[in-house]
Amino acid sequence: MMRRTLLLLLAGLTWPLLAAAQEITFDARVDRTSFEGGASIRLTITLANAQGSFSNPDLGGLTVVQGPFESSSFNYVNGRMSSTVSRTYVITATRPGTYTIGPASARVGGGTLQTQPITVKVEKGSGATSDRLLNEGQQRDRDLFVTISLSKSKVHVGEQVVATYTLFSRYPNLELSKYDLPALNGFWAEEIDRGETTWEDQLRTVNGLQYRVAVLKKQLLFPQRAGTLRIEPLRITCVVNRSFFNRGSQVEAMSNATELQVLPLPPNAPPGMQGAVGSFSFSGALDRDQLRADEALELTLTVNGSGNLKLIEAPALDLPPDVERYDPKVNDRISISGNGMSGSRSFTYLLIPRHAGELVLGPFALSFFDVQAGAYRTVQAGPFTVQVTPGSGSGQAQLSRPSKADVEVLDTDIRFLRTGDLDLRPAGHHLLGSWAWWSGMAAPVLAFAVFLVWRRREDQRAADPAGRRRREADKVARRRFKDAHDALKRDAREPFYTAMNKALHGYLGDRFGLGAAELNAAALERALGERPDAAALARQATDLIAACDMARYAPLEVKPRQAMYEEAITLVQRLERP
Amino acid sequence: MRSIAFALCLLPGIVPAMDRATADSLVARATAAYTQGDHAGALALFDSVYQHWRSAGLAYAIGNCHFKLDQVPEAIVSYERALLLEPGAEDVKANLELARQRTMDRVNELPTFRLGGSWDRWLGGRDVDQWARRGLWGWSLAFVIAALALLSRGTLRTVGLSIAGTCILFALLSVGLAARRLRAVEHPAAGIVMQPRVDVRSEPREGATTLFLLHSGTKVSLGAERSGWVEVTLANGNVGWMPAAALQVI
Repeated sequence: MMRRTLLLLLAGLTWPLLAAAQEITFDARVDRTSFEGGASIRLTITLANAQGSFSNPDLGGLTVVQGPFESSSFNYVNGRMSSTVSRTYVITATRPGTYTIGPASARVGGGTLQTQPITVKVEKGSGATSDRLLNEGQQRDRDLFVTISLSKSKVHVGEQVVATYTLFSRYPNLELSKYDLPALNGFWAEEIDRGETTWEDQLRTVNGLQYRVAVLKKQLLFPQRAGTLRIEPLRITCVVNRSFFNRGSQVEAMSNATELQVLPLPPNAPPGMQGAVGSFSFSGALDRDQLRADEALELTLTVNGSGNLKLIEAPALDLPPDVERYDPKVNDRISISGNGMSGSRSFTYLLIPRHAGELVLGPFALSFFDVQAGAYRTVQAGPFTVQVTPGSGSGQAQLSRPSKADVEVLDTDIRFLRTGDLDLRPAGHHLLGSWAWWSGMAAPVLAFAVFLVWRRREDQRAADPAGRRRREADKVARRRFKDAHDALKRDAREPFYTAMNKALHGYLGDRFGLGAAELNAAALERALGERPDAAALARQATDLIAACDMARYAPLEVKPRQAMYEEAITLVQRLERP
Repeated sequence: MRSIAFALCLLPGIVPAMDRATADSLVARATAAYTQGDHAGALALFDSVYQHWRSAGLAYAIGNCHFKLDQVPEAIVSYERALLLEPGAEDVKANLELARQRTMDRVNELPTFRLGGSWDRWLGGRDVDQWARRGLWGWSLAFVIAALALLSRGTLRTVGLSIAGTCILFALLSVGLAARRLRAVEHPAAGIVMQPRVDVRSEPREGATTLFLLHSGTKVSLGAERSGWVEVTLANGNVGWMPAAALQVI
């Protein structure tokens, strides 16, 4: 409320008689600065302690329903005089918005006084009855009709709507005998307690006719399904004009039927969505953060805000499986008014942790459809950490409880991918039948065949003893005379004869166990024993040795070296052969 | 030894279009995507590797991706492929069981003589070439032992020759098993119904008597094929014809 006080010195000079004159004030005030569309407010402009006329203010779009009513008063108390002149308007607006009532001005003496402008806000009325409904109602019955008006015409499933049932009557005397509330299909309804039904203070003018208005009932409706939901007409029966002399007459009136467009909630609902619609906050609290195993803990989750609070179910708790839990206790502090359902609903869970350790509860989530934003929102509470110390261990409960519990399977899902090497193989290539496989199979067979051929030859050789001995003797001789053969190839005279001598001595010595000194024809013949050609062989050997010695120490060669070598070989071969 | 066999496979100029390092890095990326819940992305990567490389683990991973994407028949096909590559694999069998629970048809299998999973594993194993390799070893060993036996005499020779004979028998048996295994992998005689609903008819033509209905995810054995129709046998012994297009061969 704005008030401006002006003291005019001039006033005191003009009326010197009024030694104790009161202050001169000029102000404008309204009984409410905000109201619902269709309702009316009073604007009072008061000029105190001054004579003068004042102009009507600019109402800035508001319309005058009644008035202006003028009133004046004059008091003279204990020599003090006071006077007021006031003008009252009853004004209204049908469209919501912000309106400014301009200043009123008064001419007092030689000056001008002005009131402060007043700003009023007209809200979208929950129960405001539109002109269309009024016109229709008036056409049904000029004297008595009822309207049903909804605060919104298009809502989402679960969004609250206020339905107002209003009675308009021109009968001076009316008794409501009964009314049948329409059946509400597809709605969940909550009554708004308005106390006793009374006539409103102001009359309402519809197309020039004045009506008394009474709000019969207000309901909070929550549509439960999408589509066009219809509210059937309300039927009332009234007794009118009842007096002492008249029993009155019964009059029936019908309201309009009304329809509500209910939009479905968007499809991308978050997982925890349970149908909460409105605007909520979510909080949680634990009664303590430290306890022993097997002691009880209270977890309170509170939903605060406005919307279909009474339809919010206890949020599912995702708790560790070894925490025992009990069904929550629901505690409501919900108020239902013309503005809808608001307040808080809290769920108190009793939890018993069974094992010691740090226990993390939550975070807990509440998902709802935010009507203002037109989207889903998820609010979280927690997480809460509780330190659970080991239980006392002395209680009976500790003993009776099994120390081991079966592992509880909570859900099934497919197993995870293999983590190690996937052991990839080229597609379409296999070892069997491949080039490598055929070679691998053929190789042992071929190797075995080679082995068999070799073995066969070995067997054939083993079957011919004479040949074998010859070959062996030959081998021995060639081995012994290897150095000599080398020297022969190099055409080195001196080394050839040295090697020949050494080989013959070595061979004969080794073969017959004769030392270098004993090596003579007689000893050799003895050593050769039974052989018929023993004497010839012995002589040949000693001759050969002598020839070698001769050639070694004197530059005299009896035979060519090649012939000498061949002879020595032949000699050894013959000696070797039995 | 495996790497040797692997190298032998590659020797005659068979070089896969995608080299092993690329395949390994793709598998690693796909596994990371799968772990983060991007199953469609993981599936695309695994599939690109499967174009050129085979393994039970890979087919199993593809099955898991399909399962997570709620493509149950495709998942069953992949799991069956994984089982062909590695008979008796526990993880594949577990997931296949879960996938089968989501199909509509329940077919009671005819009672057959079956040995357990360890027998399957022994016969199959993770490695398709296992029996071919065993055959090769047995074959080579037989000839080595035979050669040694021929070099020795007496009892040793008799014993050696009989061991070599046993090795030959083992090698031939192994080759037989390898051939059987290869045929099962390369020419699988089973398929999975992919269409949501298929009429199985008495003759291979549209309009023949409908014998029974099958739904997606059901496994059938494949028989003769004739102008786009295929003869299928259910596990319970029922036989009928259905369009080949409604099937996916394992």
